Amino acid sequence: MPKLVVRNLRKLFGTFEAVKNVSFQVEEKETLCLLGPSGCGKTTILRIIAGLEVPTSGEVLLDGVLVNDLPPQRRQIGLVFQDYAIFPHLSVFENIAYGLRVRKLSEAELTRKVRETASLVDVQSILDAPTKKLGLSEMQRVAIGRSLALDPKLLLLDEPLSNIDAKARERMRTELGKLQKDIGIATVYVTHDQLEAMTLADRIAVMRDGLIEQMGTTSEIYDNPKTLFVANFIGSPSMNLIDCELVYNREEAVLKFGDLALDVTELTQRIEGKGEGRELVLGVRAEDLSLDAKKTNPVAIEAEVQLAEPVGAKSIYHLKMGGVSLLAKGYGMPNIDAGSKVWATFNIDKVHLFDKKTEHAIV
Amino acid sequence: MKTAVRYLLLVVVSVWTLAPVAWMVSLSFKGPTEWYAPNLIPNQPIIDNYVSLFIPTNPIGGSFFFTSITEPITRPLINSLIAAGLGTLLAVMVGFLAAYGVSRYRAGGTFIIFFTLLTRMLPGATFVAPLMVFYASIGFIDTYAALILLYAAVTLTYAIWLMKGFIDEIPPEWEEAALLEGASPWTVLRKVTIPLTKGGLAASALFIFILNWSEFLFALVISVTEVTTLPVQISKYVSAVGRMYGTMASVGLVATIPSLLLGYMIQKHLVTGFTFGRIR
Amino acid sequence: MMKTTNRLTQWVGKTESFKKLSTLPLSLVLNFVLIVPFAIMIFLSFTRWEPLSGYDWWHAPIAGIPRFVEAFGDARLLWALIRTTIFVAVVLPVEFLLGLGMALLFLGDFRGKKGFTSVILYPMMMPWVVVGLGFYLMFQFFGPVNLLLLRPLLGEGAVIDWFTNPVLAFVVVIIADVWQWTPLMFLIIYAGLAAVPKRLIEAAEVLGASSVRILRTVRLPLIKSLVVVALIIRALEAFKVFDIVYIMTGGGPGVNSTEVISLYVYNLAIVYHNTSYACAVSLLIMIAIALVTRLAIRPLEVRAE
Repeated sequence: MPKLVVRNLRKLFGTFEAVKNVSFQVEEKETLCLLGPSGCGKTTILRIIAGLEVPTSGEVLLDGVLVNDLPPQRRQIGLVFQDYAIFPHLSVFENIAYGLRVRKLSEAELTRKVRETASLVDVQSILDAPTKKLGLSEMQRVAIGRSLALDPKLLLLDEPLSNIDAKARERMRTELGKLQKDIGIATVYVTHDQLEAMTLADRIAVMRDGLIEQMGTTSEIYDNPKTLFVANFIGSPSMNLIDCELVYNREEAVLKFGDLALDVTELTQRIEGKGEGRELVLGVRAEDLSLDAKKTNPVAIEAEVQLAEPVGAKSIYHLKMGGVSLLAKGYGMPNIDAGSKVWATFNIDKVHLFDKKTEHAIV
Repeated sequence: MKTAVRYLLLVVVSVWTLAPVAWMVSLSFKGPTEWYAPNLIPNQPIIDNYVSLFIPTNPIGGSFFFTSITEPITRPLINSLIAAGLGTLLAVMVGFLAAYGVSRYRAGGTFIIFFTLLTRMLPGATFVAPLMVFYASIGFIDTYAALILLYAAVTLTYAIWLMKGFIDEIPPEWEEAALLEGASPWTVLRKVTIPLTKGGLAASALFIFILNWSEFLFALVISVTEVTTLPVQISKYVSAVGRMYGTMASVGLVATIPSLLLGYMIQKHLVTGFTFGRIR
Repeated sequence: MMKTTNRLTQWVGKTESFKKLSTLPLSLVLNFVLIVPFAIMIFLSFTRWEPLSGYDWWHAPIAGIPRFVEAFGDARLLWALIRTTIFVAVVLPVEFLLGLGMALLFLGDFRGKKGFTSVILYPMMMPWVVVGLGFYLMFQFFGPVNLLLLRPLLGEGAVIDWFTNPVLAFVVVIIADVWQWTPLMFLIIYAGLAAVPKRLIEAAEVLGASSVRILRTVRLPLIKSLVVVALIIRALEAFKVFDIVYIMTGGGPGVNSTEVISLYVYNLAIVYHNTSYACAVSLLIMIAIALVTRLAIRPLEVRAE
């Protein structure tokens, strides 16, 4: 049975529809990520699941039981806020112990449980420390520990890494990932950072304006974005999106953009005639464009490098191809910088086609 | 259920809060025959109680109650206005200047600060004896000047405390910019700080005015016949022969109205000031 | 002449001089109203002088410390102090608890909140003598408390003559003060409670805490320092109570059965014209207050760091 079921959730704030119609499930030990830009409703959904907001309509089920009318105190859900909300007047020990004290455990039992949880999140060394002097990562671990001490059915995390500077973020991301594997609790994770989502989640629900645009595993979302929005949102750098037109030349299918033509005859079967006469958008990820200093591939297209951005071992090349701007990502090539000419080959297998109007994927 | 309980309690609290004033309103419109009756709504409402404040008549309202109060309250009213008004003005001016100095320039040694705090800590009554002696020797008894200075001194702590709070909220960058352009601190005060803190200044002034309007002890001690303020006059009504409940009520209400009006006007600011301007 | 005025204006405009000048009016006022009388008070407390002695006060003969000794043997002074202390000791917790209750009542949103708040707050704004007056009128023998409250609830003989009984008269004074100043406590406590971040409350809720537990373990601890300051301020003011006592009981019934310290000193100075003794007593009281406040502030200062 799925741990959490959310069905047809809708939430209105006055006349503003924050959540329009959202449904999903989370299985035991699974981490689902709600990914989307600010204001798309993901935090609202989290708060509804926790019981801090009442949905306008829709159902929330925990372990198969309807919990709509249950106050947050009784839901046995852990929630880690974006700013951690550590109790400033209590020590680390007391923070973690807070929920346990409600249960009237014996002092020994309580101490044992607190220490156990503390070592789980690696704060056992600062148990007596006053919370005012903690660093951000310590605070986050205390916040997580505080929720975990109660053995909740579900763990909710609201943008846990958004407060932290870029450098520490990488480290924390790894820590969080490790923690999730160790603990194995059903988790719903809210973020606007697609990199976080990709590394930490089992499944991702990409959200926009109160609705889920696409839900799937990390690779599904990455390799097969169903809409323009998802395609653009996921991936760093963003996918190249080019307006184009599909033209059939007897047996050949060609995409025209700028003053170029790209042979996509291989894709005719997958297109299934859907592209006829409509405005299309060609999507190709930067890493699916191979670059060469010479025209070794017959179908390669000439492009001019406007800027070469080294990002570690690879570089991002800003290209201008037939009047269209593109980004390509490849291993750093010596002697290629602004002004040079390169030859770019499209990896046709990985190319996406979107209907410009409906924004849905055709291929 | 919970809402019903809340509203019930709110009503109880409101009744408790409104009771004294409600009763005074009721009394003030009652004739002497009804003064000992428990009815809230006067059976025969009259306005003589109010009229007799300004045109004292003996007997009151066609009854046989005689009172020893023979002056109208116009003089005490005006005296209160002058004393409270000018006292407030003085307190605000002196206090604002000092608050500004302390806030921006760290002016004021511990001595000054200590003594300013002292004015609030010590009972006014403890100063009465030497004050009388001092003022008598310089002929300050029964003068406006004496009252005004006293009122200012007593409310200075509040003035400084409140206005420092407001001044602190203004980012110093604007003033620093003006100073860098060669303006003197006085000009900065005039052209930058005061316009920015106008709201806070007004609120503080109103609050201090309410305090001074209510002031009783010093007015009681200093005034003899010339500068009797309204609160002092009211005390005379209480001890007057004849137990004039109706006029006591009416004079009390008349004295309260300015306070209530001003207090209503600054309610929002009251909250900020009293809570040390630190609601975040 | 021009030169000096120019230099004067220049000096006035400078920053360092501004620093000194800004507190100059303050010093002037304080000096006049506070420091000079204070000096006189110290002087006079070592003398023996009354306004009717026939000579000016600065010629008063120094008599040393007998006035102070007199003070320690003064029973009436002792009783005034005791009464005032009892007054403060009763009024503070009552106002705090009622204020806390009212603040909790107002927590959260509800219709008419602004209106109710206005009503609740106005007692603070009333002139103190009018508060005394109002309660004086209410607790009259033929007044509403007797006739509308006690008689209907407890029967015919339940009416009380409040002001002829020292204890009851004192009670009325206490009630009047509570009525007037509970709203202040309410205001401060409410502002403190409202400043508790909503997040913390929500976190506690998700962790399973009930409203009562949240009050006890989250809200109250976080407003503790604010409340302590409020209590100290209220205590200092309560100690000075004068107006309502003067209006309602005048110190009576009798001569001094409800005399609080401010009233006693006032009587000494103004009614009995016992000036030098009044000065001595005043001085002793000031020293006492300064000491007590210093002792009370000490633990606060330590905690503030």
